[in-house]
Amino acid sequence: MTAAALVVKQLVKRYGNLTAVAGVDLEIHPGELMGLIGPDGAGKSSLMKAIAGVMSYDQGSIHIRGHSVSTEREAEVVKPMVGFMPQGLGQNLYPDLSIEENIDFVANLRLVPAEAMAQRKERLLRMTRLDAFTKRPMKNLSGGMKQKLGLICTLLHEPALIILDEPTTGVDPVSRRDFWTILSELLVQRGISALVSSAYLDEASRFDRVALMHQGAILVQGKPQELLQLVPATVVHVRLADQMAGLAQLRTHFPKTLGFGEWIRILVPTADRQQASERVRQILGELPCQELLCEAPELEDVVVERLSADQHETAATIPRAPPRHHAAPAPLARGALAIEAQALSKTFGAFRAVDHVSFRIPQGEIFGLLGANGAGKTTVIKMLTGILRPNSGDGQVAGVDMSHSGPMIRQRIGYMSQSFSLYFDLTVEENLKLYAAIYGVSRHEQRSRLPWILAVTELTARRSALVATLPMGVRQRLALGCALIHAPPILFLDEPTSGVDPLGRRRFWDILFQLARQEGVAMLITTHYMTEAEYCDHLALMHAGAVIADDSPLGMKQTLVARLGHVFEVETQDPYRAQQLLQQSDFPHAHLHGRRVRLFSQDETAIVERRIMARLASQGLGVPGISRSIPTMEDVFIENVLEMERRGRMAAAP
Amino acid sequence: MNLKRLEATAAKEIREMLRDRFFLILAFVSPPVMMVIFGYGMNLDVENIPFVIVDYDNTPQSREYASHYTHSRYFHFLGYVKDQREAQQLILRARIRVAIVIPEHFGRRLAQGRSTAIQTLMDGANPLRANMTKSYIIAINSQVSLQQVTDFMATVRGIPRREAETMLQPVRLEVRYLYNQGAKSRWSMVPKMIMMVLMMAPPFLTAVAVVREKERGSILNIYSSTVTKAEFLIGKLSPYAAVTAINGLVLWALATQLFAVPFKGSFLFFVLATMAYTSCTTGIGLLVSLFVSTQAAAIVVTMIVTLIPAMLYSGIIIPLSSMGPVPRFLALLTPAMHYTQIVDGTFLKGQGLLELWRPLVVLAGYGMALFVIGHRLFTKRPRA
Amino acid sequence: MTPPWSRLELPPFLERLRVLTVKELLQLGRDVGLIAFIAYAFTGDIYVAGSGMQMQLRNATIAIYDGDDSAASRELIGRFHPPEFRIQALLSDAQDGLRLLDQGRTMIMLDIPSQFERDLSARQQTAVQLQVDASNSVIGTWAAAYATQIAATFGTDHAMGGMPTEAAMPIIASHHRIWFNPNSMDEWFVPIIEMMNIVTMLSIMLPAAAMVREKERGTIEQLLVSPLTPIQIMLPKVLAMALVILLGITSSIVMLRYVFAAPIRGSLPLFYAVSLVYVITTSGLGLAIATLVNNLAQVGMAVILALAPIMLLSGTWVPAEGMPPGIRWLMYISPLHYYVEITLGIFLRGTGLDMLWNHLLIMTLLGLVMFTIGLLRFRAQLR
Repeated sequence: MTAAALVVKQLVKRYGNLTAVAGVDLEIHPGELMGLIGPDGAGKSSLMKAIAGVMSYDQGSIHIRGHSVSTEREAEVVKPMVGFMPQGLGQNLYPDLSIEENIDFVANLRLVPAEAMAQRKERLLRMTRLDAFTKRPMKNLSGGMKQKLGLICTLLHEPALIILDEPTTGVDPVSRRDFWTILSELLVQRGISALVSSAYLDEASRFDRVALMHQGAILVQGKPQELLQLVPATVVHVRLADQMAGLAQLRTHFPKTLGFGEWIRILVPTADRQQASERVRQILGELPCQELLCEAPELEDVVVERLSADQHETAATIPRAPPRHHAAPAPLARGALAIEAQALSKTFGAFRAVDHVSFRIPQGEIFGLLGANGAGKTTVIKMLTGILRPNSGDGQVAGVDMSHSGPMIRQRIGYMSQSFSLYFDLTVEENLKLYAAIYGVSRHEQRSRLPWILAVTELTARRSALVATLPMGVRQRLALGCALIHAPPILFLDEPTSGVDPLGRRRFWDILFQLARQEGVAMLITTHYMTEAEYCDHLALMHAGAVIADDSPLGMKQTLVARLGHVFEVETQDPYRAQQLLQQSDFPHAHLHGRRVRLFSQDETAIVERRIMARLASQGLGVPGISRSIPTMEDVFIENVLEMERRGRMAAAP
Repeated sequence: MNLKRLEATAAKEIREMLRDRFFLILAFVSPPVMMVIFGYGMNLDVENIPFVIVDYDNTPQSREYASHYTHSRYFHFLGYVKDQREAQQLILRARIRVAIVIPEHFGRRLAQGRSTAIQTLMDGANPLRANMTKSYIIAINSQVSLQQVTDFMATVRGIPRREAETMLQPVRLEVRYLYNQGAKSRWSMVPKMIMMVLMMAPPFLTAVAVVREKERGSILNIYSSTVTKAEFLIGKLSPYAAVTAINGLVLWALATQLFAVPFKGSFLFFVLATMAYTSCTTGIGLLVSLFVSTQAAAIVVTMIVTLIPAMLYSGIIIPLSSMGPVPRFLALLTPAMHYTQIVDGTFLKGQGLLELWRPLVVLAGYGMALFVIGHRLFTKRPRA
Repeated sequence: MTPPWSRLELPPFLERLRVLTVKELLQLGRDVGLIAFIAYAFTGDIYVAGSGMQMQLRNATIAIYDGDDSAASRELIGRFHPPEFRIQALLSDAQDGLRLLDQGRTMIMLDIPSQFERDLSARQQTAVQLQVDASNSVIGTWAAAYATQIAATFGTDHAMGGMPTEAAMPIIASHHRIWFNPNSMDEWFVPIIEMMNIVTMLSIMLPAAAMVREKERGTIEQLLVSPLTPIQIMLPKVLAMALVILLGITSSIVMLRYVFAAPIRGSLPLFYAVSLVYVITTSGLGLAIATLVNNLAQVGMAVILALAPIMLLSGTWVPAEGMPPGIRWLMYISPLHYYVEITLGIFLRGTGLDMLWNHLLIMTLLGLVMFTIGLLRFRAQLR
């Protein structure tokens, strides 16, 4: 057996008094894809930088292929073997340089021989489908393209070990799938090892092994399936006539109960589905249950479970809002039209960013706007909030066009922009008070409003902390608090959970859910987390500036099943070849998901299984297992977007 | 040292430079603009001083005396006023800088061979202007006095006017201005402005360039690759040094063509010395960039460490030889002072390597030392 | 129990203004680097300028070749003394002097001919040579003027030996009354000018930096969707920065008074009022700059670019009177030009509003034009 690709022993990294990494042991084998997950500030980035040899550490040891990385001189020795991609969109790229120039620079820096470079560049550009844009400056690329380019730059010198720090954060699902496909192919083909951190836990199933980091230490590590078995539980979905009452009752027994669109999602700590559903029915007692479904828990449930066991107990319920103050705009009747877009269009030069977008959001509804990077979601929000003027069409909020609106109308909306526009050099309380004053909440009214905001966002203990010192998830809660300070009946939330860890996201959605159901707040929200899309009452899917689907989450899934059928997951020894074979035969939608191949089929399970087996067996590939499931929101998103791209290509072809 | 990596770093830097419009303006437009502004503006010759005359005598003699002022290019005559009070008011209102008061009996006393005194009221708020004004007035008074006394002596002693003049002025001081025969302030200021401008822009550009890479995070590319520290630093900074060198030539051309300052020394030597100076200013930028983490801080710190010493200790205001021990020591530490010797020497004194090898060696050594320190301080594996 | 005054509610416009101004001050207060820079600018920099600048002849180095070595020549040499002159070398060879000049080790060389005393007693005119390094023309001409004066006085003194007293000669004596700064103390003048330069720089830079920081962080969007009007967004920045600058001015004034012992003859409240007007109006330029740039680094560069001409055109170093007409007109529309006159008036001349109102009026009008341009550009960009 060859030397391990990476061995980390008892690694400690401190920043002044703060211990970021507190004794981490980690081992990665050649060809292994290791995932690193955990909340913000868990020490993932510090660990990765230390391994990449770009930051010194205090104690312990790191060996890459048997070479120590403890001094600057030693680190230089392993650098030819290592590829490192830091956190942040396009962090290691140069905005003014084109795709090709960025690649050439890194290749020359790494002394890649000209011939090999031309070959690799060509292959990688083709794989990433960036070959059509080689002359485009990096600053004009979408987030997904930036990350793919970053990956190319990390791989050019064919390192034995690549370290990718949150490569998919802020990247839309289509680009994310592309990204993982490329990575899987390379790992399989070249025997590269990888250490990858991710904020998307639904991605964790793609890893060979996963390590969960928390407070500088690794809590658990193992194969994704092994981690799932750590918390024996069942997820029960119920649909009730009185959702809020059911939620309240279930929470007294199961604190992790969540509102989920019109459903309620309960994590019951038993693997026995029969038992789980009985317990739920028992607790609901009198409340009539319209529908009940059982599912296996996801990795996110495990992580949330492990982390919350470790952290201080979060308040299970969210306190009710204090009575509205007199300056607050009167709430609109539930069901009244809160936001309406009518054929909104916006062009930037020759680029059509938003193309006749229409939708209606009634008061009390959580409306999700999904779409790839650059699909036009943010532009829609900016037009509705009055920051941008549309070229044509009409955007109305509470019946008024925002771009002509006076201050009184702007009092009605709360806005949380992509970057959580907070003042980093002010404290939590100072930020809140500032926005309170901006929105004319009198000091008298602040006295009742402020404690409520602090309680809801769980920031009471941190009220005097500078925002700059807070982790991402906390900043995001504060940004929400600032948007809520004047009790607006309408909220615009632009990627409010990007880069926030699962615990924070759950809490966040809890707050949103209560605002919608109890205060009747209307919300327009964009997100890249497809699991979050399921929390929404209604979804609109945007592609290239236009809305291509507009339905409830369930409706969207049903439409997809009607069009493509169910999802089948195939386990096999050589997933890369299997995927190619299956894609070329009857399953054009076959794609890699970690070490498995996923595909769609409308036929019956037995028939599909037989066809897959036959196809793979003909090429000498064994099939240990095939399972059937319903499509996820991610499938809905990706298949819709790919379908649009196909149509676009067809239309373009003569 | 691998040239390919060095070249890659430099080529990337040049590309980035060329695509940043703001940078291009700053790098190539602002130095000549500053040169032109300073060249025309830093004319320290005081002329056209606004003044009035209070003539209590009002005789042909007093008017003849006044004409020395009214016809001088140094003074700008705004008229007669009736008394000192009125003149005072004008000074207070900053309408005039000086008032010449001719006393009563001015003409008669002079005619009688008796002394008289001219009273000047001056605005001393700006001491530079006051000193200049004072010396002009003294010069005019001495000149008129000399004429008067010469005439008087000639009459009293019955000797020719010429002899009287010799008698009164036995010592003739023959002043010769070296290097700048007309003592033109433009000839003296413009070459030094090359020193100033080259001290302002390059450290700034360099510091911002390195810090920008830190701030943006792309420095991690460098950290994680096999490029050596020396390759990176040289590759990163040489384009800026080149920009500075080009600017040096542009400024030289402006000085010699637009401002018509003579260049008497060795051009080759000047180029060599400018390159050495460039390595110093770039090196200062490098050092600053290693200590700060944001571009804004880089700007502020470079401004403090470059501009003020260059102003005070380079010899623009006070010649090195006139400095006290402490400023002199500080001056020796500023590359600006050594380069000032070089610009003065090459432009005005017609000197070259033979006379100026010492400052050249100092500059080259200085630049080298800055890079060695920068190389030592730069790490590809920082603490945070 | 809450104190009764805390129940006091300001009208919304003022309350917003108050809170946003406080916010700017808090942000500035937490930017240690910037605070350190501002503090340095108003104290350290002014100290350096005040103690380092000199605008009169001091310690001009002189090398002397005394070819005569007589009582008369020694007497002449004795008249070149500090503070104006410093004898650097007594030479045995006149050629050495030229070398010292070439090397920049002396500024002047005095060459006294061998028959100096003989000629003098024979009442014959004698020529003394003075070689002056004019590579620094200002100091060179000063030194030459002084030396000429010394030689003339020396000559007259000799000639007058045994002649009637001065009073009996038709000599015009120069009686100077230099007002406001009779001893021509540079340290009364230079620090005031430097303070005004700093005020100008900061009143352009600070509001521009505050504005651009909002752009960089994205908080500006948050303000745009709020009920704030552009003026409400802009004004607090200007007010907060004006407050900081006035505080800085105070520390400079303390320094002027107690370190440089400069007089403050006029009314300080008037000076503060004028400064407030100046700072607020000048900030218009900063806001205009903020609309052109995207990050703090560019603010810094733009300010440096803008500052050089502004300072030059203030007429401090180069009086407007001596300028070609085109540039002179540029000076007349520079608010700093008037601010300098008013400030010198208040500090040194002790003049009051009665004499300065016209300067103040012009400064305010020019400032308002600048501020309006800044405001319009700012609004245009927001919309």
